[in-house]
Amino acid sequence: MNTEAMRILVVDDEPGMRLGVERALRDFEVSAPCINGKFRFDIAQAETGEDALEMIAAQTPDILLLDHKLPGISGLDVLEKMTGKIGDCLTIMITAYASLEVAITATKRGAYDFLAKPFTPDELKGAVRKAARHLALTRQACRLAEEKRQVRFQFISVLAHELKAPISSIEGYLNIVMERSAGDDQATYDNMLSRSVIRLGGMRKLIDDLLDLTRIESGQKKRDLSELDISNVAGESVEAFTPEATEKDVTIELHCPKSLKMTADRGEIEIILNNFISNAIKYNRSGGRVDVTLTGDDDTVTIAVSDTGIGMTPEETDRLFGEFVRIKNPQTRNILGSGLGLSIVKKLADLYGGEATVTSKPDAGSTFTVTLKRTQET
Amino acid sequence: MAKVLLIDDDVDFVEMNKAVLTSKGFEVSEAYSAAEARGKIEDVKPDLIILDVMMETSLAGFDLAREISALHPQLPIIMLTGIREAKDLKFGFEPDETWLPVTTFLEKPVNPSDLAERVKEILGN
Repeated sequence: MNTEAMRILVVDDEPGMRLGVERALRDFEVSAPCINGKFRFDIAQAETGEDALEMIAAQTPDILLLDHKLPGISGLDVLEKMTGKIGDCLTIMITAYASLEVAITATKRGAYDFLAKPFTPDELKGAVRKAARHLALTRQACRLAEEKRQVRFQFISVLAHELKAPISSIEGYLNIVMERSAGDDQATYDNMLSRSVIRLGGMRKLIDDLLDLTRIESGQKKRDLSELDISNVAGESVEAFTPEATEKDVTIELHCPKSLKMTADRGEIEIILNNFISNAIKYNRSGGRVDVTLTGDDDTVTIAVSDTGIGMTPEETDRLFGEFVRIKNPQTRNILGSGLGLSIVKKLADLYGGEATVTSKPDAGSTFTVTLKRTQET
Repeated sequence: MAKVLLIDDDVDFVEMNKAVLTSKGFEVSEAYSAAEARGKIEDVKPDLIILDVMMETSLAGFDLAREISALHPQLPIIMLTGIREAKDLKFGFEPDETWLPVTTFLEKPVNPSDLAERVKEILGN
C-alpha cells in the first residue's frame, strides 16, 4: 500500500478554527481503492482571502477549506479570483450563514461541497474523505485517458512504419526495373518483380489483420455465436494449409476427437487456428512437423499447435503476444508477417473467457495453446 | 574491382542495391547485423561501407559507425537514415565530423542508382 499526500489549505480568520481543522486532519487517512493506497493530508493555513490567493498562486492545494466570511475579500471573492485554477483544486465552503444565495453563487464559481459551521471533526473528515476520493477518481480518469492516447499514438506510428517499409521496397524494385539499372540479366528483374508481389501480399495481410483487430476491439462486428464442431473447423484449416506445408517439406497432423462442440463464432475460431498453423509452418525447418491437437473437458476446449521449428528464448516469448512484436534474428530474416496475428489471437481468447500461451525451446520448437470456455455469456 | 559492404537488416534493400551495384562493376557483400558486419569487415576488407542507422536498435548503426571509423579511419562510410523523419530529429545532411565520423548521409528511401553514383564519386576521389 502506498500513501500519497494531499495538500489542504484552510482559510479562516479564527485561529481556533484553523487549529481545530489541523488537529482533526493531522493523522487522518483516507483509503483510495483506485490508487490501491491511502491519502494523508498536509495542512497549510491562511488567515485572509488575500493571503490565501497568494498561497494558491505559489502552489495550488488539492483541497481548499474556505470560510465565506473573511476580514478582507470574502470567500466568494477568492473563488472568483481562482477561476482557471479551480480544475486542479476542490473547494469546500465553510459557512455559518448557509444562505441559499451564497450556496448558489459558490456552486456557480466552482465550489465542490459545503460544511456548515459549527461542525464536528467527524463531519469535517466526512467532507474531506468525499473530496479526496472524488479528486483521486478524476485524476485517475485523466491519467487513463492520457495513457490511452499514448498507446493509440504509438500504435499508429508503428503501423505507418510497417506500411511504409514494403512501399519503399516495392518502389525501389520498380524503379530499378523501369530504369533497367541492374544490368542485362532478365532473371534479376524477374526476381525483383516476384519480391514486389510478395511484399504486396504482406501489406494486404497486414491490412486484413488490422481490420480483424479493429473489429474485435471495437465490438462493432456482430458475433455469430452458434453450436460449432471445432474438430470439423480444424480439419478444414489443416487441409487448407497442407499445400503450403508440403511445399516447405513440413508434415502437418491433426489429433482430435471425432466431434468437439462449443459455442463459438466460426470466423473467430478460424482466425485462431489459421494464425497458429501458419506460424507453425513459417517458422519450421525443412523435414519438420506440425501437430494440431484439440482436447476438451466439461468447461473448456484447448487448441494446441506444436512445431519443430526455430523456437524462442523466454525473453522472446514474454513479448510475443504484443502488437507488432516480431522476433528479429538471422533465422527469421526472410519470414514475413504482420506482427499482429498473435495479438489478435490473444484478444479472441479474452473474448472467450480464456487465455493464449506459448512454451518454447530455442532450436527445438514451440507450442502455442489457447484455452476457450465452451459456453459463452451473451 | 572495388569492394562494397552493405549493412542493413532489410532484406529487400540489400537485394536491390546489391543488384545495381554489382551491375555497375562493384564486388558487393552484405551483413544483416552489427555482429555480422564486424566479421565481414575483417574478412572482406571493403573499400566502402553502406550502413543503415536503424538496425536491431535505433542506435546500433551510430555505434557501429563510430566503432568502424576508430578502427579504420580511412574507410569511407555512407550512412542511410530514415531516422530524421521517424524521430523528428533535426540535423543537416552533412554530418559533423566530431559528432559522427561518416563520409555522408543519405535519406531513405534512396534510389539505388543514386546510391551507386554516390559510391562511384566517393571511390573516384
